Amino acid sequence: MDPKHNQPSPINFWKWFNPIGRQAGGWAFILNRITALGLTFYLFLHLLVLGQLAIGPEGYNGFVALMRNPIAIAGEMLVVAAGIIHGLNGVRIVLTTFGVGVTRQKQLFYSLMTAAVIAIIVFGVRMFTA
Amino acid sequence: MTQNSAAPSVSAPKSGENTWLWLIKIVTGPLLLILVIVHLIVNHFIGETGLLTYADIVAYYRNPLIPAMEITFLAAVVTHSLIGLRGIVLDLKPARNILKIIDWAMVIFGVSTVIYGTWLALTIASKGG
Repeated sequence: MDPKHNQPSPINFWKWFNPIGRQAGGWAFILNRITALGLTFYLFLHLLVLGQLAIGPEGYNGFVALMRNPIAIAGEMLVVAAGIIHGLNGVRIVLTTFGVGVTRQKQLFYSLMTAAVIAIIVFGVRMFTA
Repeated sequence: MTQNSAAPSVSAPKSGENTWLWLIKIVTGPLLLILVIVHLIVNHFIGETGLLTYADIVAYYRNPLIPAMEITFLAAVVTHSLIGLRGIVLDLKPARNILKIIDWAMVIFGVSTVIYGTWLALTIASKGG
């Protein structure tokens, strides 16, 4: 096991995401960082696309119609999943920052991720059937 | 993975990260969790398909609380994401002068985004008449 996984340097960039030899904390870190990067990218893309709303109904409704296909919905599904995972993982980070559950981070992480899986399934069903 | 001093088990400011920035990221987190839950439920579970059409969105924005909530959401999420992104940049150990440029770029980008998003939210609200 390499204890230097999380140590910073440009060369180690990919090692942040190396899943080999990790325990729960390492997985929590990978999930948090991947979802952070994905959500940040999506956020600004999302705000840009929403600019269509200022133009009027044609552009915006046309764009929505374009996105009503299984591939685009699968992409949106990834964003929703990333948001749920990042948000619930964040609950653990905030709680432990203020001294709650510091010695039970693993249980906290597994419980929150179980809740995340359930929420992702609920949204998945809705998004692919609505 | 063995824990060491470089990887604390509890969130803390990174070296080179102002404590206030770190604290803002921590404090905006729970606020964003609530706003994201509202955002996802409104956009996916209201009505038949969620808020999907231009008309749906304009109608939703007629309640003045909605643009206020969305602008709060916008400012919080942009701040949180850019502080988080800066944290990732810090992990790449940038040179001081490069970090300074990145900091300014992020401030300008963040402020412009919030101004643009606020204009957009108010524009949508004004379409409801």
